[in-house]
Amino acid sequence: MKTRFVKFKEWLLLPGGFGIFTGMLMLGTMILLGIIIPNFGPYKPDEFIGDPFLPPSWQHPFGLDQLGRDVMTRTFSSVGIDLGVAFLGVSIPLAIGTVIGILLGLAKNKYVISLVGSLIDGINAFPLLIIAVAMLTFLGSGLRSVVVILAITNWARYARISRTRAVVVSKQNYIEAAKTLGFSKRRIVMKHIAPNVSSETVAYALSDFILVIVVVSGLSFLGLAAKPPMAEWGSMIADGRAYLAQSWWLVIFPGLALCWSAVSLSFVVEGISRRDRGV
Amino acid sequence: MSGNHLLEIKNLKIDVRVTKKRRLSIVDTASLIIEPGQIIGLIGESGSGKTMLCRSLVGTLGRRGAYIASGQLKFDGIDLISAKQSVWNEIRGKRIGYVPQSALAGPNPVMTIGAQLAEAILQDENFPKADLEKRSLELLNIVQIRRPETVLKQYQHELSGGMKQRVMIACAIAQQPQLIVADEPTTGLDVTVQAEIMELLKQIRKDFNTSIILVSHDLPLINEICDDTVVMHAGTTVEKIPSKSIKASKHPYTLALYNSRIDLVVPKGQLKTINGQPPSVGSWPEGCRFSERCDFVKDKCRVKQDLPLITIGTSHETSCLRYDEIAR
Amino acid sequence: MLKNQIARTILGRLGRALSVGFWVMVISFAIMRIIPGDPASARLGGVEAEAIAQLRKQLNLDGSIFQQFSRYVTDLLHGNLGISLQTGRTVIDIIGSTLPLTIYLILFSTFFAVILSIPIGTSIAWSGKAPIVYTFRGITAVILATPNFFIAMVGILIFTVRVNWSPVFGYEPEFPQNLKYLWLPVVVNTLIMTSVVSRVIFSSVIETKEEEFVETGIIRGVGRRRFFWFYILKPSMAPTVVLLSYMMGTMLGATVILETIFTLPGIGREMVNAVLTSDYPVVQGILLIFGVITVFLSFVGDVIAYLLDRRVKI
Repeated sequence: MKTRFVKFKEWLLLPGGFGIFTGMLMLGTMILLGIIIPNFGPYKPDEFIGDPFLPPSWQHPFGLDQLGRDVMTRTFSSVGIDLGVAFLGVSIPLAIGTVIGILLGLAKNKYVISLVGSLIDGINAFPLLIIAVAMLTFLGSGLRSVVVILAITNWARYARISRTRAVVVSKQNYIEAAKTLGFSKRRIVMKHIAPNVSSETVAYALSDFILVIVVVSGLSFLGLAAKPPMAEWGSMIADGRAYLAQSWWLVIFPGLALCWSAVSLSFVVEGISRRDRGV
Repeated sequence: MSGNHLLEIKNLKIDVRVTKKRRLSIVDTASLIIEPGQIIGLIGESGSGKTMLCRSLVGTLGRRGAYIASGQLKFDGIDLISAKQSVWNEIRGKRIGYVPQSALAGPNPVMTIGAQLAEAILQDENFPKADLEKRSLELLNIVQIRRPETVLKQYQHELSGGMKQRVMIACAIAQQPQLIVADEPTTGLDVTVQAEIMELLKQIRKDFNTSIILVSHDLPLINEICDDTVVMHAGTTVEKIPSKSIKASKHPYTLALYNSRIDLVVPKGQLKTINGQPPSVGSWPEGCRFSERCDFVKDKCRVKQDLPLITIGTSHETSCLRYDEIAR
Repeated sequence: MLKNQIARTILGRLGRALSVGFWVMVISFAIMRIIPGDPASARLGGVEAEAIAQLRKQLNLDGSIFQQFSRYVTDLLHGNLGISLQTGRTVIDIIGSTLPLTIYLILFSTFFAVILSIPIGTSIAWSGKAPIVYTFRGITAVILATPNFFIAMVGILIFTVRVNWSPVFGYEPEFPQNLKYLWLPVVVNTLIMTSVVSRVIFSSVIETKEEEFVETGIIRGVGRRRFFWFYILKPSMAPTVVLLSYMMGTMLGATVILETIFTLPGIGREMVNAVLTSDYPVVQGILLIFGVITVFLSFVGDVIAYLLDRRVKI
């Protein structure tokens, strides 16, 4: 028992350990609250329980909103939606992009390489938020559209990273050695190239998670993703905006929850990158 | 012993701050004397403290969290340990020139060679600006760079390794310093280029009577051009010996370094190597720090004190306690 | 020979920018067409076929895809981006009237961010004191992870609600009055940008500091001021410039939200309005402009970085 504690302490003191630990702790707390409060709390997210604009009190720590709903319950019911959508918005492009990038890195056909390569550059030329907003016009707004759009556009960023990495790895000596030893191409890709590439894209995915959370909540804020009465941080902030002067709690609490999640992830990302660099 | 020597290092101890409280000695009891116009080779394995010793001569120990803990360090009679910024400003680049490690460095990548030479030349505030180009070309000629007019306008990445190092030497000699500190100036260069650079340094000493400290881990290379060779091991200077009598060394470490030369190997013979690894900083053995690796070690070598250099001949000093017993 | 090399490198980069620009155009063209269903009937709902056909023609959706594309390119070359379905103004006119404000917003933010970031980034990197570095990293990490609309809201809460320094909404285009509306958005943008830029300057100065040529410079006796500019700042600038050009593109995207919050009549808010009213030609045109500006910015950023430090591969 003691040795485990000592081991943990040593791990914590390595570069970045504190950041990773704090970040995980913060994120864990948020997810836990996101499970407990909506499911076991006294209120429902869209239940009208009292006077509109009731300021924060012991009974309602985050106050009540313009329709008399409990802001705390709503804030924490958003955890699953925001993090869930962001998770899909990261993991689907991660998978698509990594595979396309590896295939492109190993491709021999010049036309395919330059065609797909320029398509990737072209998609990446647009700021993510802009291309998402533009596509929402044609796809119709809603959270499902947001996930689809992220899958269509965001893969290009992963593909670029994965392709560069695949090219570098496939030129490495041990791959050449494996080829001369007569290992099958499939085995080389699965055993050597794929793990090497995916470790890089997964690392990027973590930092991309932050960006995607911000994009998803931003789209909801513009009224293009989550729609009322759904509890979602971006749309709660947008709703509260009109009453900012009188009832700050409508905006501040969902905003803090949003910040908290993004900051916790950024601590983890920074910790991991510091650990890799060893400083 | 008075201020007649150009450079006098006596029992120098350099510590580095590891954490707030922990200190580690990286150089301990190093002694070295350089006379005007002398080329001294400073040799040792990596981690022996030779680079840090060089840094102490140009006052940049602080950048690495290191400082001089004790000992003496005098340059032309000036105490460099207590030297203030203003003193350093008068010495650095003017009276002591510096040639960096070639493998890592080279000129500033975002300035043209000309701009950097100008910087070195204009260290002399009274230098007439009109003569700048003339002097630049002159310096590049001294270091035997072809097409100097073109090189002046180029950036470092357009030059070869040897050229970069020639430029660095040109910058170092711009003020005709009394001493040039060259920290592994040829590491990583082609063998032929190494020889050229060494030849150049020799020529500079001849033309300007400049003293040179030449740091290297390549004993044969150093031995060719130096007057004296100083051998460092585990942070301390273990032997000072005139280059021409290197074979008569009385220190097992020097002999081992010398004998591990590839060209001494007879066909199908065995290459001699030095036993074990150099002791790491912070865990140096007591007494003779080479004792763990030495073939001649006796119990008396492991005394509980540092070994002083013993003078055993004209500019020949050794720290080996058994120097008179060691027959080749 | 030297000049030639520079020219060749820049031309090569220009070639890449043009090819990416071409793809940006293709994507703007394709965006209306890759989505299942017909945008024209989607917009008009169940009205008679004639009106739909009329709209399809107006949206350049009739004929084969190649005909559509060649018409699109021809129109583009004539500076014709279509006509707004909502207001009947030409798209190019809409862009022309809304883009300048957005550009000013970004240029001002960038300017202030650079002015603030250089001293912050370099001094923290140079001092290298652990507590200061941790505080710096922590604060910037929090700012960077915070969505701009929340920062903007907090800003409004403080400066509009508490101390009425900035109007809640509206805009006056005349010079001295407009500052009243612009300063808060510029501050929000500057804050975000300063966090990114100072971080990059910080880490690139840390890297530069360890380089051997810096030590050589100190030993050569280079004067303080000169040392700072040529041995610390300039070698660290190339990555900063590249990032800056990228950040300006990102900021351009973020104006969509920022201009909506502050009700500024810039191109970002115009785009959101167009999206909400399904004004396809306007969305398409603004998307193209955003893409072109981003490509241009990254081209300029790369070229400047290359001119600052020839080691940079572009």
